[in-house]
Amino acid sequence: MLEYIAKRISFMALSLLVTSLIIFLLLEVMPGDVVKIMLGQHATEEAVSSLRAELGLNRPLHIRYLSWINNLLHGNLGESMYMEGVKIAPLVIRRARNSALLAIACLFIFVPISLIFGALGGLTDSKIAEVFISITGLFALSIPSFVTGIFLIYIFSVALPLLPASSNIPPGTSIFQNLESLILPAVSVSLVMFGYVARMTQSSMEDVLQSDYIRTARLKGIPDKYVIYKHALKNALLPSITVIGMNIGWLFGGLIVVEKLFGYPGIGYLLVMGLQSRDIPLVEVIMLFIVTIYLLANFITDLSYSILDPRVEITKAE
Amino acid sequence: MKNTIKKYFKDKFSSKFLVKIKNSPSGIIGLILVTFWILMVIFGPMIAPYDATRMNLADAYQSPNTEHLLGTDRYGRDMLSRTIIGSRTIMTTAFGIAVISTVLGIGIGFTAGYFGGLIDEVIMRFMDILMSIPSLLLAMVMLGIVVTPGIFSVILIISIVYSPRTARVARSALLEYKSEEFVDAARIRGESFFYIVFGEIFPNTIAPLIVEGTARFAYSIMTVASLGFLGVGLRPPTPDWGLMVAENQDSIFLAPWTVIVPALAISSLVVGASLFADFMDKYLRKV
Repeated sequence: MLEYIAKRISFMALSLLVTSLIIFLLLEVMPGDVVKIMLGQHATEEAVSSLRAELGLNRPLHIRYLSWINNLLHGNLGESMYMEGVKIAPLVIRRARNSALLAIACLFIFVPISLIFGALGGLTDSKIAEVFISITGLFALSIPSFVTGIFLIYIFSVALPLLPASSNIPPGTSIFQNLESLILPAVSVSLVMFGYVARMTQSSMEDVLQSDYIRTARLKGIPDKYVIYKHALKNALLPSITVIGMNIGWLFGGLIVVEKLFGYPGIGYLLVMGLQSRDIPLVEVIMLFIVTIYLLANFITDLSYSILDPRVEITKAE
Repeated sequence: MKNTIKKYFKDKFSSKFLVKIKNSPSGIIGLILVTFWILMVIFGPMIAPYDATRMNLADAYQSPNTEHLLGTDRYGRDMLSRTIIGSRTIMTTAFGIAVISTVLGIGIGFTAGYFGGLIDEVIMRFMDILMSIPSLLLAMVMLGIVVTPGIFSVILIISIVYSPRTARVARSALLEYKSEEFVDAARIRGESFFYIVFGEIFPNTIAPLIVEGTARFAYSIMTVASLGFLGVGLRPPTPDWGLMVAENQDSIFLAPWTVIVPALAISSLVVGASLFADFMDKYLRKV
């Protein structure tokens, strides 16, 4: 077990290192010189080169990479290039908190609903539940979340004016005072998740119910209710846990589109803005942040899976 | 090699295909939707009643009427024409991505799988790392590098982002046949790497690769639309569906049709492509 954890952590560290290198190199070759954007079109050559020196942009590439990594490891994330004097660390933390809130709202909406629907779909022979899951699952899975979001806005903000169409938070108030603006973005993201998880739960429930040990339990005369709660449910939910865990990392990526659609002040929207204004230091930090969350979520999922299912022999797994 | 592939396609895409798809209602719906948009791509310019990019401010924000069947946007551009012409960019991009990412994946996956050992380890580890960056995120940043992305750069970048996934499929397809006797025989005959891989192994791996390519096509439509919406794909005034949703989003109260029409177009194409991809998966795996 310990060996496995050590292996996974070292792979994560390697991934982060290579990712940081990829991100750094990609963004360094990005044209649209920030210095020229900062100084405007009519800047003199002299002003440009002195600002470059001030920002340390005239040092060789590898030195810049090493000093960037060194700063990151010391918790020094630097300042935004576009928004002058704005420190990156508190900005990213604040926005990530908002995104996390949205992600948690999504989890609360889609996890219970999709598990219940999936399990019911697998348990009953009723065609209705099955067809409902496969049709909504298909639509939810294949339609991009910004399109689902547009339909939701049209229904719940334009046709029936019930909910706000954007999540613009008035200055001076926090997201907690504007919880109704969370609903539509959370539902748009949740629909995609519903597609994955409900389908998964349904098919694994069906598999489990056909297995030998369920038949044995039934033949022994154990009441159906007991068979389902004690024997079937636990095993049927295992694959769903993996899917949910994988989606937590995906959520942070998937939120980008929905946050832009609703103008929600999360980390994804910050990334879109950062790319548009060529704010390289900010974009670098956000990218690394999201990749870290993604890797951690996958790691935790695998671990919890092995704890819940003792059959998974973790030491031999690669 | 040519003959094996020809025979393969004759076997799989003859009357059997028609019989199979007749019994699959979702497959038919998918095929109809995709065919509809393919026809729009080919005949669009003849059908579209107006120029997709011509502005006419006098006609701005007209709700759907007999002159403009799907209304006009804030610049008075005809929504029907923009939607029809918009199918061309998204379909060509998605098709290009499906083809190029499969080719890239075959190249990478076959090399890794055939040589094995350290080469395999290094290539596949690197692919794992690339996959640990969410694909939309990686595509966004790479597209951000290109100042004004055209169709070709969008195709190339998304293909690179997708290549680790196709490489995995190609690699495992190759490994299935690598230790077969006919491959050993070819090796002993002294055939080249290129001949063994493409002449002997490749014809056997076509089915999973076609399945993967069709699924990639469906995914690409989603990704291209999302990137257009995020403003990192094609630039205005190109009639790109994702871009159209983003451009008109703030008119949703005043002129909802400007947003709903491209949103419906995206949905119909994506659902059609996924249904068809699902059908191909079942069909080619079973036969």
